[in-house]
Amino acid sequence: MTTLEVGTELPSITTSFTRATLVRYAGASTDFNPIHWSERKAHEVGLPTVIAHGMLTMGTALRVVTDAVGDPARVLSYYVRFTRPVPVEDTDDGSTVTFSGTVTKVADGVATIALQALFGDTRVLGAATAEVRL
Amino acid sequence: MISESHIGRSYPPTPPYVVSAAKVAEFAAALGERDNPHYAGADAVAPPTFAVVLSSAAWRAMFDDPELELSLSRTVHTDQRFAWRRPLRVGDAVTASLTIEKFRARGSSAFITVVVGLDADGERVCDATSTLLHTWPDAPGEDA
Repeated sequence: MTTLEVGTELPSITTSFTRATLVRYAGASTDFNPIHWSERKAHEVGLPTVIAHGMLTMGTALRVVTDAVGDPARVLSYYVRFTRPVPVEDTDDGSTVTFSGTVTKVADGVATIALQALFGDTRVLGAATAEVRL
Repeated sequence: MISESHIGRSYPPTPPYVVSAAKVAEFAAALGERDNPHYAGADAVAPPTFAVVLSSAAWRAMFDDPELELSLSRTVHTDQRFAWRRPLRVGDAVTASLTIEKFRARGSSAFITVVVGLDADGERVCDATSTLLHTWPDAPGEDA
């Protein structure tokens, strides 16, 4: 279990989103928006290809926190801005996203963790912040 | 069409949704979880962002409100906040009710902030706040 102090860097997670990841998340979350599985529908709204669900990116980023603290019941709040989409071409390798987190504040029994999600050099989540009970 | 006058409008809660061990396991796997013991078994808790399954179901009432002239397909999810009092657990019967919290017009688009309260067996467990950017086709008076 990671000790949460200001400046603590949580172990990062690198994962790959493939079309299979998106289909699985669509079913699990019941978000069947076709821009997450249909190239044709994505093109219709001006996207170059299918994009990952923002909530898939948000949910995966929080694993950095829950892996570090163990019990997901300790997560009190979580905020993200969906700044850029993660495009997912129909390839075996998919799109690699790296998630990391740093403790920015500890006060009153609560640790604040700033999260980052990088697709290449692109930050796909903005102002991503989770609060956990110590 | 939706306007500032709709701030504060609420919709009736969704029918109770009973959280199942199978759905929790399915959702955890979809997030790439492999072996977190908290998400397994009959007394499992749901991954925190499972709340979106319930909160997005509550969006439907707003999109179905003919007075607002909203379409989900013209909507982009721009930010999301969750505040939990406790995790959702297997066996919880969860209802979700939406309130329009903010409205800000920007040309032919508008930022709409909605708060969905999730209640399990009558107890508030989570508030899910979403900002949605909605764009109308060929809206008159577009000057932004």
